[in-house]
Amino acid sequence: MQKKQPHDNGGSRIEISRRTFLHNTLLTGGAVAGAGLFQTFTTMNVAHAAAGSFSFAWVSDTHLYPKTLNTRFIEKAGRAFKEIEEMGSSFDFMIFGGDLAQKGDPVELQLGVDMLAEITSVKKHFIPGEHDWYLDMGEAWNRHFGESPWMFDHKGVRIIGLNTVGFAPDYWTAKGMSPKERMGHMEALDGSQAGPWSGLGREQMQWLSTALSDWPKNEPVIIFSHTPLYEVYPGWNFWVRDWRQVHEVLAPYGNVTNIHGHVHQPLYHETDNARFIGQLATSWPWPYPPTGVPALTRPMIRVDPGDIFDGVGWGTFDVTDAGVENEYKMWRKEVFAVAQHDSGTGDNGNQILTPRIADRDWTGN
Amino acid sequence: MKGMSKRYLLAAGCAVCVGLGVFGAVQESAAHKDPHDAATLKAFQDLFMEQVILGDRLFHGDPEAQQEMGVNLSKTGMACAMCHPISSDIHPHEFPKFQEQMSEFATLRDMVNWCIEKPNEGEVIDVNSEAMKALEAYMYWSNKGSVLDPGRH
Ligand SMILES: [Fe+2]
Ligand SMILES: [Fe+2]
Repeated sequence: MQKKQPHDNGGSRIEISRRTFLHNTLLTGGAVAGAGLFQTFTTMNVAHAAAGSFSFAWVSDTHLYPKTLNTRFIEKAGRAFKEIEEMGSSFDFMIFGGDLAQKGDPVELQLGVDMLAEITSVKKHFIPGEHDWYLDMGEAWNRHFGESPWMFDHKGVRIIGLNTVGFAPDYWTAKGMSPKERMGHMEALDGSQAGPWSGLGREQMQWLSTALSDWPKNEPVIIFSHTPLYEVYPGWNFWVRDWRQVHEVLAPYGNVTNIHGHVHQPLYHETDNARFIGQLATSWPWPYPPTGVPALTRPMIRVDPGDIFDGVGWGTFDVTDAGVENEYKMWRKEVFAVAQHDSGTGDNGNQILTPRIADRDWTGN
Repeated sequence: MKGMSKRYLLAAGCAVCVGLGVFGAVQESAAHKDPHDAATLKAFQDLFMEQVILGDRLFHGDPEAQQEMGVNLSKTGMACAMCHPISSDIHPHEFPKFQEQMSEFATLRDMVNWCIEKPNEGEVIDVNSEAMKALEAYMYWSNKGSVLDPGRH
């Protein structure tokens, strides 16, 4: 039987609905240089920061598998690393934001170490993701990339890197999970067993408070974390469970920017004194969660699941007197959806979802 | 596991058919000639949830579940749930519809096979297979309460 096809509309509908949207119309004013000229650079102006000018790159969520299993995530991470290496002289530093590996496997982490070693043109800083941590509780990660949290000052900005993945309430001991099982339950974003694993924990909260205590209240602070420092969707740990305390610690500081990974999608949120910017993965995009996407988020366009380079990429940040500008380096022309039916959130409004069931009663083998 | 499900169904079916002696010859195809009691409904529900749980395991790439069902849904280490946590962004209630990736009018089962073949690089399964039914059970169960809207893109 002849397959039914919709009428060919000459592609004009697609032209109209996929034009790049500029997020800064929602936010503080300021020119978005270049965005009109280079459609692939999708830019948003996110904050006023009285600081010396500098730029940095963010790359995260590479989720490397061993080469023997699949090379597509390796290809995409390699593409991002190569682009950063080529642009290295325009960045003061880069951040690797976690989820380098998929199963925390030593082979995967070593592959990541080797690939990151190819970036020599720019200074690198690292924070871990949950996929890097729960096989050996961060031992290999810390050995390769150093411990976190950390802080340094750069051209008038206090810069902090947090570890929001390494302090999960113990979900494994009582159930006698092996390290592999512990990692397996962590690996599934929608798993039921690992619980609210994302958080700073009491000690790191104290550390953050101390790290900021000598910093002038009106000077800019940039905080890197794998997971967002506010509540988006707890079921997928798109949060830190102790975000209310984090906000209390940050409250006295008037100019805070949190840049985070883990969500594999553009997210944007603001409070009185802070803004929170979600970054792309290089590996694959998560769908937007069914609830909790902040109103200020301009959702990314639905991606083509047949194109492994769609819906993924890395990010750049330019810090100037005028503000902090973020570009999503996504490997397609359109980053943000214009029409609701093209958007990852707008399209998902008609779903009613139930958390998974098969792992709920896991009691060990 | 498969065999057990079938026996379960048969037992439930027979409970319903008790007293239909005169229609004994068509007993297996007769349904709902007597009111369902609680035990029968529970048997139906248990059978359904057994399929949901199996589908959930397949959907999340469980190697044992795949082995049990004799399927290989992925050769890349990727699982359905990696792009569709809690079955989100599947919209089973919108099928059948034109599916751009395939350039054809497709059912949910067609789409499942596309995902197995393309992103997962696994081996496509028979659209009427036990594994497909289990996957379908899980996806519909996860999206329970979503309003039926066939054809929506
Ligand atoms: Fe990730
Ligand atoms: Fe993560």
